[in-house]
Amino acid sequence: MSTDVHSLDPQQLKIWLQAAGKRDAAAFRRLYDASSAKLFGFALRILHKRELAEEVLQESFVAIWNNAANYQSHLAAPMTWMATIVRNKAFDHLRRSNTAVEIDADQFDGEVMNALQDPQRTPIEALQLSGDAKALAWCMSALEGAHRQVVALAYYHDLSHSEVASQMKLPLGTVKTWIRRSLEKLRTCLARGEQA
Amino acid sequence: MNIRNNPILRQKLAAEYALGTLRGGARRRFEGWLHQDADLRNTVAEWQQRLAPMAEFAGAVTPPKRVWTAIERRLDLNKPSARWQFWKNDNLAFWRSLGMVSTALTALLLVVVMRGPGTAPAESNYVATLTDDKTNTVMLVTADPRHHDMEIRLASNVAVQPGHSLHLWAVPKQGHPRSLGLIKAGRTVLPLTAQAIGADVAVLAVSLEPPGGSPDPNGPTGPVIYKGAWVQM
Repeated sequence: MSTDVHSLDPQQLKIWLQAAGKRDAAAFRRLYDASSAKLFGFALRILHKRELAEEVLQESFVAIWNNAANYQSHLAAPMTWMATIVRNKAFDHLRRSNTAVEIDADQFDGEVMNALQDPQRTPIEALQLSGDAKALAWCMSALEGAHRQVVALAYYHDLSHSEVASQMKLPLGTVKTWIRRSLEKLRTCLARGEQA
Repeated sequence: MNIRNNPILRQKLAAEYALGTLRGGARRRFEGWLHQDADLRNTVAEWQQRLAPMAEFAGAVTPPKRVWTAIERRLDLNKPSARWQFWKNDNLAFWRSLGMVSTALTALLLVVVMRGPGTAPAESNYVATLTDDKTNTVMLVTADPRHHDMEIRLASNVAVQPGHSLHLWAVPKQGHPRSLGLIKAGRTVLPLTAQAIGADVAVLAVSLEPPGGSPDPNGPTGPVIYKGAWVQM
């Protein structure tokens, strides 16, 4: 999909999202075409089951259509806003169905994981990521491997500090410290990137 | 605890809130602060903005076609909007914020005032207050299921232009509007049909039509000039 990178341009997504808020079904379709693969991949990674992920994607886009008029572009980029909806719907689903998800230590797409570990070997530039995701990937690759994993576990699996601790077989205090420090490092690193 | 003057703690809690690790009582307390603290809401939004791109690390997977088909069907996106589907062009938030509650309360007060004391409202009454495009209330519709009629009162300052008629419609959530009848100046009583009172009716609307009403039985041909939510009391 060579159009992917181009169509994830936040300005373009914002125009479609705002048009969808004015009940423009054609713009909504373009928004879906441009973002659904990323969002489906995300839902799939959280839920592991295809049919569940399909259901969550469907519910998410119904919510996106219904709430598009309330989207505030100064608070969130379009992908951020939509990914947050998908994440909340996915966790809602898991809570409702009381399904335990197998949590794999190997969090991400192999390619992305390689890039995060060693940007020299798989350049982050080569991945089809939006600008925001590239910046975050750079900053996460600068974290220590285990710290990165702790942050990703919490984000992808809706885990509390103690759940992360038991998952990683680490003391609770260690997990708390790692998460606090990692978040602080990410903030500093991302702020540097914005200035550059 | 006051966190307003503790920027480090504010950052830490906002970050953990966005990440999802803030739980239980601490989370509820934090959500309480969020309500009254716009700056804290911004801090959370910034953290969501920082962390959300992690979603893309999962890699893209093209969903099967049936997902879009289901979305399209659920949202009824295929049908072109006809002129009477005015709410499709309006911001949906407008209809929500219109405040079913306040509309209903206004209407209820009017019902009580108009009927005078001593006449208890019949069970499952429906009411609607219709407003013009400047949100002035111009019309009150009350349904009386016991007598199978509905009473329409037009505000005294509303004149029906000569050569035109006012046509009242029940607008269901799906499908065509249903004609309820024509409205005269002052007070009009129309038969209350099962159609009108159906639970699927969301809105009442009035269109400006040639004498005798809309030539199209399936909807207005003229502009919709008044509308209001149809509320069960």
